[in-house]
Amino acid sequence: MEEVKNNSGQNLGIAALITAILTFVLAVIPCVGLIAIIPGIIAIVLASVGLSQASRDDAPHGVPLAGLIIGIVAIMISFSQIFVAGRIAHRADKWPEKIQNIVNDVQDNVVKGIEDANISIKVESNGDTVKIVTTADKKNKEQTLEDLEKGNSSAHDTLKVKK
Amino acid sequence: MTLLKLRNRNPQVKLKNEPYLVINIVFAGVILLIMAYSGIFSPEKGNYPVVCIHEKITGEPCVSCGLSHSFSLIIRGRIDEAYQWNRYAMRVFLFFAGQFLLRIIFSLLYTRHPETRKQLIMFDIIGSSLIFLIAFMPFIAAIIKGL
Repeated sequence: MEEVKNNSGQNLGIAALITAILTFVLAVIPCVGLIAIIPGIIAIVLASVGLSQASRDDAPHGVPLAGLIIGIVAIMISFSQIFVAGRIAHRADKWPEKIQNIVNDVQDNVVKGIEDANISIKVESNGDTVKIVTTADKKNKEQTLEDLEKGNSSAHDTLKVKK
Repeated sequence: MTLLKLRNRNPQVKLKNEPYLVINIVFAGVILLIMAYSGIFSPEKGNYPVVCIHEKITGEPCVSCGLSHSFSLIIRGRIDEAYQWNRYAMRVFLFFAGQFLLRIIFSLLYTRHPETRKQLIMFDIIGSSLIFLIAFMPFIAAIIKGL
């Protein structure tokens, strides 16, 4: 007597298993992980229908069950990508503030560096030489300004006035 | 007469009754499609239709960004450049290339040695799962880290 194999739900099970495997591969790649939700749902639906057909006709459950399990795991991984993206987006909200703080720090350092800088300018033309030696030091500048107001000439002034 | 005896007498395999072979053929087909996608789209033009959704949402590149570019470069033999686009691309590419060969080899073994089918499928599941974990570990780690 020949044994008759009941294939009820097997075709759907195979379709579900294939879709589930593809969903799984897609789900673990962050770039396209979110897309995997769509084939994941299709895989679960196919597997569920296949499983119900197999149960009704007393056919083997293996393939549709495997499709259902892989599909559920894949869709869970895919859903987790939403949380990952959400978490990164949440962190990204604080980044403009951090960037602003970094810019402010850099600006402060540059201004401080300029304030302490010594400047020396030398101009030569037709044998005449003009040399300006100064500093960007804020306190020194204030002192120079006060001296100028009082009429005192600068000690460092190298410019010779022609008489 | 049991089904196994019947099968041994008539070794012609019906594809419809062999989910394992169907899965192998489909998976190999999908890998070929991935290779074709990487070959058709050029890394110079950067005309890839699939964009990173993750980057679109968060504005930040994710761990798998540049994968398509890298695959295209690997197919063209420009391995150094491929590493610059995505440093994990090579292991993922090797996974797919390896799986393509394994699907062919396992399908041939499955049809030629029916007595070892159960062992073969078990070996395939364990082996492929391990290779998958090794190849996709950086991506899995990124997902876990982000949770």
